[in-house]
Amino acid sequence: MSPAARAFFEAAPYLAAFVVGALIPRRSSVLERVAVGVVGALSVLALQGLWPDPAAPVTEKADEWPHLLNVVVFMPFAGAIALLFLPRQAPKFLQRFTLTVLGLNFVVSLFLLGATMTRGWHFQYIAEWIPSLGIRYHVALDGVSLWMVLLSTFTTPIAAYVAFGSIRKRVKDLCFAFLMLHGAMLGAFVSLDLFLFFVFWELMLIPMLLMIGVWGGVERIKAAYKFFLYTMIGSMMMLAAILYMVWTHYELAGYLTFDYLALSKLTLTRTAAWLCYAGFALAFLIKVPIFPFHTWLPDAHVQAPTGGSIILAAVLLKLGTYGYIRFCMGMFAGPAAHAATTLAGLVIAMGIFYGALIAWKQDDVKRLVAYSSVAHMGFVMLGIFAATQSGVEGALLQMINHGVSTGALFLLVGVIYDRRHTRLVREFGGLAKVMPVYTALFIIITMSSIGVPGTNGFIGEFMVIMGTFASNHLGAFSHVQGGLAAAGVILAAVYMLSVVQKMFFGPLSNEKNLHLSDMNVRESVAIAPLIALVFIIGFFPSLFLNRMTDSVTATIDRYVEGRIAWMQGDEAAPASLRPRRGGPLETGYPLPPASSPSSEGTVAAALDAEAGKEAH
Amino acid sequence: MQQLSTSLLAQVSPAQASSAQVPLAQLFPADDFVLLGVILGLPLIGAIVNGVFGKRLGREAVTLMALSAVGLSFVASVLAFFMVSGAQDGETLVRFKWTAWEWFRLSTAGDFSHTQLDVAFSLDSLSAVMILVITGIGSLIHLYSSKYMEDDPGYYRFFTYLNLFIFSMLVLVLGDSLPILFVGWEGVGLCSYLLIGFWFDKSENASAGKKAFITNRIGDFGLLVAMGLLLYFVGALDWAGIEANKQALLTPVKLWPIGTEVPLARILPEEAGLWLNEPRHVSAATLVGLFLFLGCAGKSAQLPLYVWLPDAMAGPTPVSALIHAATMVTAGVYLVCRMAGVFVLSPAAMFVVALVGGLTALFAATIALVQNDIKKVLAYSTVSQLGYMFLGVGVGAFVAGFFHVLTHAFFKACLFLGAGSVIHAMHARIHDTDQSQDMRHMGGLRKFMPVTFGTFAAAWAAIVGFPLTSGFFSKDEILLKANTSYVTGEKVLAGGGVRIDAFQWPDWGPWVLWGLGASAAILTAFYMTRLFFGTFFGEFKGWTIVPGYAAAHGHDAHHGGHDPHGHDDHAHDHHEQPGPDMKGPEPHESPWQMTLPLVVLGALSIFGGLLSAHLLHLHPIDDFLAPVFQTTVGRVEFIEDHEARTYPLVAFAVLAFAAGTGVAYWIYLQAKGEPARQLAAQFPRLHQLLLDKWRVDELYEETILGAVDSLADMCVWFDKWIVDGILARLSAAVVGLSGTVLRQFQTGRLQSYAAAMVVGLAVVGWFLLTPRASARAFEDHAAGTYSVTAAPGFGYTYRWDSDGDDSWDSESFGDQRTLELSLEVEESRTVRLEVRNALGQTAEREFSFSRPKPDMSGYMPASARIDVTQGADGRMHRVPSEPQLPAGHPTVAPERMEHLKRALEGAGMKQ
Repeated sequence: MSPAARAFFEAAPYLAAFVVGALIPRRSSVLERVAVGVVGALSVLALQGLWPDPAAPVTEKADEWPHLLNVVVFMPFAGAIALLFLPRQAPKFLQRFTLTVLGLNFVVSLFLLGATMTRGWHFQYIAEWIPSLGIRYHVALDGVSLWMVLLSTFTTPIAAYVAFGSIRKRVKDLCFAFLMLHGAMLGAFVSLDLFLFFVFWELMLIPMLLMIGVWGGVERIKAAYKFFLYTMIGSMMMLAAILYMVWTHYELAGYLTFDYLALSKLTLTRTAAWLCYAGFALAFLIKVPIFPFHTWLPDAHVQAPTGGSIILAAVLLKLGTYGYIRFCMGMFAGPAAHAATTLAGLVIAMGIFYGALIAWKQDDVKRLVAYSSVAHMGFVMLGIFAATQSGVEGALLQMINHGVSTGALFLLVGVIYDRRHTRLVREFGGLAKVMPVYTALFIIITMSSIGVPGTNGFIGEFMVIMGTFASNHLGAFSHVQGGLAAAGVILAAVYMLSVVQKMFFGPLSNEKNLHLSDMNVRESVAIAPLIALVFIIGFFPSLFLNRMTDSVTATIDRYVEGRIAWMQGDEAAPASLRPRRGGPLETGYPLPPASSPSSEGTVAAALDAEAGKEAH
Repeated sequence: MQQLSTSLLAQVSPAQASSAQVPLAQLFPADDFVLLGVILGLPLIGAIVNGVFGKRLGREAVTLMALSAVGLSFVASVLAFFMVSGAQDGETLVRFKWTAWEWFRLSTAGDFSHTQLDVAFSLDSLSAVMILVITGIGSLIHLYSSKYMEDDPGYYRFFTYLNLFIFSMLVLVLGDSLPILFVGWEGVGLCSYLLIGFWFDKSENASAGKKAFITNRIGDFGLLVAMGLLLYFVGALDWAGIEANKQALLTPVKLWPIGTEVPLARILPEEAGLWLNEPRHVSAATLVGLFLFLGCAGKSAQLPLYVWLPDAMAGPTPVSALIHAATMVTAGVYLVCRMAGVFVLSPAAMFVVALVGGLTALFAATIALVQNDIKKVLAYSTVSQLGYMFLGVGVGAFVAGFFHVLTHAFFKACLFLGAGSVIHAMHARIHDTDQSQDMRHMGGLRKFMPVTFGTFAAAWAAIVGFPLTSGFFSKDEILLKANTSYVTGEKVLAGGGVRIDAFQWPDWGPWVLWGLGASAAILTAFYMTRLFFGTFFGEFKGWTIVPGYAAAHGHDAHHGGHDPHGHDDHAHDHHEQPGPDMKGPEPHESPWQMTLPLVVLGALSIFGGLLSAHLLHLHPIDDFLAPVFQTTVGRVEFIEDHEARTYPLVAFAVLAFAAGTGVAYWIYLQAKGEPARQLAAQFPRLHQLLLDKWRVDELYEETILGAVDSLADMCVWFDKWIVDGILARLSAAVVGLSGTVLRQFQTGRLQSYAAAMVVGLAVVGWFLLTPRASARAFEDHAAGTYSVTAAPGFGYTYRWDSDGDDSWDSESFGDQRTLELSLEVEESRTVRLEVRNALGQTAEREFSFSRPKPDMSGYMPASARIDVTQGADGRMHRVPSEPQLPAGHPTVAPERMEHLKRALEGAGMKQ
């Protein structure tokens, strides 16, 4: 076979998928056809990894370009700075520029998938930042943060694209906010230095605050304040905990460092451990959010513009859950394990059930989706508290799912809001007659949201529930909690199907709805990738799960060890540092400054230098 | 697990298959049976193509796509069926497996291991029969619908859903594990939801769809919990894995108290507390069986979750025939058969299954007695017949129960399609959905619709148990087994240090179960005969027939489009009420696309019984299914004199048929329904109660739904006023209030600032003028030296009592600010200090010191010691020692150790 023919046959599936995709839209819009076609081709590309070619050699460790992660994180910031020099008078140009940066960022972030996600850190990059305080620029990726980064780079362009469709004022500021927000979120997901993490964590707040406060609804200022204050209170507690830990580490090891790897070696006294855990947990659980800190979420969502809501739901909330896995479980296994059963009970009763019941009673669709977020994030947290392999994997997958489905729901609510400028359910009814495509899409996303098999929601919820049953961290309650969580899926169907019925079925009674137009090109293009992802995750979850397994195992191993050490440890023991173990999870461990006399550190330095030589 | 299933399959190597099938067997090997992919894939492709492109394809193309997808899938199913029957040899189980791709992994109990779940499908004799029914009856109903739905604007949507349903149902029966089955299980529920609400512009239809979905979800919850428990106890969810480890389910599980004790018990009187804390156990098998059955009860409309099925008749009639009679609703029975090996481990769960089945059979039959809507009667009849099936499988007669699934699929699909044909005819003049389905407007249709009548009669004969029809054989077998068969098991279960007495079937069990089934059989014969006679015999009551009416008053005149199926709210166009006053054409027979399926199904209703006619010593299906139910052998027993009971019970079955039909014949045909009206008049409240379906819907509305509703209202209130009130509003109020208070000091008036300054000066002055005996103490236990240094102040002088003898060292005050003393080991001393300021005021303070024994516990570990030496440059250098590895560090090879040492020395040089 000639090379040209072979190339043709290799490209044939993508071409076919592209053609099929391009045929789907009924309009003659080229943009829409191309976009849907590309989504189709990309879906086939994604599925390719599912049936590995047995003949192909298995590369154990692909070459990792160490700057790739830096490029991904700093591209939005660079874009934001470049944006400052562009003329405010050309909003179209600014929008295109922003979308290009975000789109390029997504494409670049796809190269992160090239690495085999083995246990340990990938694309690690370390540079001194403020040496006198032991603060470093330390970023790295593992199977947990990989998906958070990709979720972020995937949804932000969509959110921006949607936002540009409906927002006409202060476009430059909006573009700037999007880019800054995106960079800060990415940074927070990959930081392994607590100071760096805290900087990104706080940096994220400001663009979001502006997004709600400037481009939001009628009560935007109040909602923005509420959002800001709630998050800020958590952040301050976290900052206090960080400083205490850094100080304790200094007392014990003799040098300052803010590094996660070093601080997770700390065994604090019981009281201090509980307080520090509480500080971190509060910051993250407010962000998730779980009861009773959840009330900022509906307000923020309702007031935020559609694009802001999408980012808020899809990515910002994930920082809470991600942070809990990385920092609370990583650094405070003992207190986290102790609190797990109680907190799991809390998220079931006051997240899954309470959130669902309140969602059922909402008139405002956006509020309803916001409360459904509380219920969904309850599932995520339950999987994390269960701390079994399938529980945590399910939770991570459910984080992606929630990003996809809730993001899509906000997008769809935005569509109807742009047409009618109301989100009240009672204003609608019988929309299926005038907006059939919109209805079909809404129902698909609804099914994904309530976890119907074949969609992404099912896999996540199912794995979380099964992981809860298998958990030995929840003690005698694992079966009861697993059963109750399973009962939660009933309520999800109740509130989502009720709103679907009220909005789309029945007679078309409201005259204002008689001439509503169906999805336009921009909206269809924006939602197409989300719809594709709903089914890709639903049918082929192992594409995602295989890349997180090793890191999840590592996380759980460390958690279990920490828990056992806590149980066996002396209650009155003073703070101490656990010995280092070496291995891939500790590459990049911060070393004492050269003048320090600690022999241990020097040996470790030599060890690390060795490890580095062997890798190259 | 993989190995187990392959070893099972190894026994049916292609060599054993007959020679004619060798090429096929090579094409589709048993462990990579891609034919299943074809069977599943075709309807899916049909659904996707019609769903995405249907609107542009046009009616013909949609029909072609949908029908050929299901038809070809049927052909492939027939092929697969014969491959199974060819490969199956006696008692050995044949399982053809096809693994499509990997799905995900689940942790097993305690997260110590995991089980891989793949998107895998398998075919054995049980599923082979099911796929024949699904694709076979599915094809017929697709054909029927192509005419029935002809003029509906949502034609393509209908066939999309229908194809999707076929796909989901096939996934359900072909799935090789519970989660894959669950995919199909919820998939059919989704299709059912979409099809019930197909004519969505009527709110009732949409509500009925929602009700079906949510009620099914309650069942799905049971299935989820069952899967969790199986995963925990058995550690597998695929069929082979469950079968291999199912004995693990024979352990007691503590149900109560959750955790170690009930917290409430402490405050209760002792006896009550003890009672409350008494551990209560049940076998894991029972728990799993009951939760599985909750799922079955949801899907198969058993008590107490049957309420959705009668409402589901809001969907188009072919949907009622396919989904809500022939296939989907029997999924629960299929699941019990599939999990038979697990169910028989628990006699208690089996008894519940049988009892609920029997109760449902009778309960639904009583409601069907008085309904007038032809589809409602058939719906309740379906619920009742499903009860029969569960009665059958519950007593361990799995083949009999499953055989009833088969015959019921034939005759009930035929009845529904016949009813559809009748409704289609009634639509010529009556466009309101409810009215066109009302039996009271029918009658005498025998003359106008001969084919429909003939096939309906065949199906009627089968359902009422006319001897030698299919329904007679299957129902008779169930009743026989209900009376003679029971499930047995261990008397005592032990495990985890607990022994419990296991549930045993009571002696009265078989008689009660049989009694429920038998009385339901009589009622069935009665209400079906009532329906049959009311529709096809007597006078036509819909309208006055005027020959040649259609030409003059075609109902097309009223509408733009020909839209005959009542999904539009155009009933209000017609002021006429059905009855003698209305004029109309002769009711017409349906076209061949609709009558052909009727004829096929009618024939199957009559002759299908020969597949398992024990009276005639024909039992091919029993032999075919026997390997699947091998797992239940030894746990299903017969009572001692069961053979003697066979003929009396058969005689009773015939009698039940004769009594039911005879009475109905007398009431509704001989006496024109007069006795029924009298009876209703005599017991008006009972009649009304039956007509209102025992008001179960209202009961649920008032209790469960009402409770959830008010709970939700409470939650909303709580969220708004308590959570948000305290966390946001209250804290905001506190901050605001302190702001208000503090603002009072920032008035901007110079006088008040000056006044504040005066007050401040006074306070500072008073502070300065008061003496304070503040001092800092320094302790050095090791050297035994201690010192106290008094704080300086304006004009301060000091005097000390250094030896603790309560008298001052010197009476006069001096300038000595620091007192130093040294103590022996274990000596203690109290010293005093007095301070006097310039105004002569004094203040006094005491200090206590004690020197403890030296602390020998804190010795210095070797690793913390650093050896230093003075180098030539006069500076201190560290002596390179053996590198100490942190504990737990991976061991380092000796040659690397040397290298490390050198590296260390290098580091030392740099210092």
